[in-house]
Amino acid sequence: MSIGIGGAGSKLASLMNPEKATIVNVSQSELDKTVAHNKILAVAHSSRGKFQGAGKNPEVGKTAFISISEEIYELIKGDVVFTSTGGGTGNGVASVLLNKIADEPSISLNNKTMFAFVLPYVGLESAEFVENTVDFLLGPVSKAIDSGNTGNIMLFSNKLKFEGRIAEHDYNVMLATGLKNFLSIPRKGDEFALLDGHVDHEDFRVYLSKPYFNHFCQFEYTTERSFAELLKANYNQTLLPPEQPIEAMFLLEVPTPEMTSCFYNILDYFAVDHVKPAYGVVLNPQLKKPLLTLSLLYSRKPKELVDDFCHMVEDMTQKRIKKTINQFVKLEEQHRVNVEETVRKIEREDESSNSVLEVLGRLKKLR
Amino acid sequence: MDSLYKEQLKRLKECHFLVLYWAADAEVKGVRYNITNAFDDLKELGITRTKQSVMAYVESLYMLCFIEIRDERNRKNVYLSESGAQALEDLVKNGNFKIKRSRFLEEMK
Repeated sequence: MSIGIGGAGSKLASLMNPEKATIVNVSQSELDKTVAHNKILAVAHSSRGKFQGAGKNPEVGKTAFISISEEIYELIKGDVVFTSTGGGTGNGVASVLLNKIADEPSISLNNKTMFAFVLPYVGLESAEFVENTVDFLLGPVSKAIDSGNTGNIMLFSNKLKFEGRIAEHDYNVMLATGLKNFLSIPRKGDEFALLDGHVDHEDFRVYLSKPYFNHFCQFEYTTERSFAELLKANYNQTLLPPEQPIEAMFLLEVPTPEMTSCFYNILDYFAVDHVKPAYGVVLNPQLKKPLLTLSLLYSRKPKELVDDFCHMVEDMTQKRIKKTINQFVKLEEQHRVNVEETVRKIEREDESSNSVLEVLGRLKKLR
Repeated sequence: MDSLYKEQLKRLKECHFLVLYWAADAEVKGVRYNITNAFDDLKELGITRTKQSVMAYVESLYMLCFIEIRDERNRKNVYLSESGAQALEDLVKNGNFKIKRSRFLEEMK
């Protein structure tokens, strides 16, 4: 089961499995657009719901969360939440959700929630998306990570979508397929004959419940190139590139049992950094070449992440400021006030009644 | 009589007050203040635009016996009367108007 919040999150959750997806939105018309088993209308202002979305304003999402707070908080336990970080509903609802999770004293392993965030592409997406994302990462995400109460967090990026000029639906399918491949590790462990190692459902659950960023990828494995090179060339382009891993997990599917031992090269690669991956090697006779499904857990302070983000934003901002400066109109000086003279004038006016009486006194015409 | 005077006082506008004051000020300074001077000053302050209206203000002050108008060297000069002095004092004490500077008298300094 997966939970999608807001427009972008709903589409992804629906692609994962429409039969089991729950989607949340503040707009009934948005809910109608996506196929999902369970649809929750979050009420922002009226009991009938709005027919428009939150319009990039996270405050709308935050207010709307109150109406679905209990229901959604139960639903997300042990599941995956999909949301964009730039929009209104996703950012708003997820912010309150993350804060609530962070405030819990502790959350049991089976109840931990995985989060999949879709980050905007700074180069071509609107400034509001980017600003909302920066606030989101520095605020609720940072707090939730510090609490250790979340499961894996996946940082999807729209970079490839824009640079590769991929249609939104196709790109979402890529994202969902990648994640499905990763999540299929324990099922494949059951399905295929095990040749070495072991990753069962419980191990996998424990792995998913760790509060780190998860970078997963799948590629054809070969021993002809060094594993470091191979990995670098095959990072998942729909996710942000990973940092030095803290933990790792992989499933190697080999077409023949003779190829089993090639997985030692992978263990060697990780041993340099004292990482001991959980792994399984299975026999998949349908394949022609070995296929590796790999996940890396890495830790990054949200601030560093934001710094990266800000670095990218900086260029854009500079250009925008330059444009603003070019449009700057110098206002002509209208009137210069001589303070001394003005003060004297006011003084004179204040004394006006005295000076009239003084004049009258001197005139001696008063009876 | 007292009530009539009060009624008269109520009907005086800022321009009347200023003409009374400027006439008094000019007399103290030993300068003659005539209707043309009053027109120039009031026009500069934006209070009136036509000489006829200034004539009307001055005329009304004369009718109320607040000023005297004397023909001197082909000019109609304005002088404050005793009742005019009284009226001016009362206007000041009531705080009805504030004085404004007469350009003509300023230049005479």
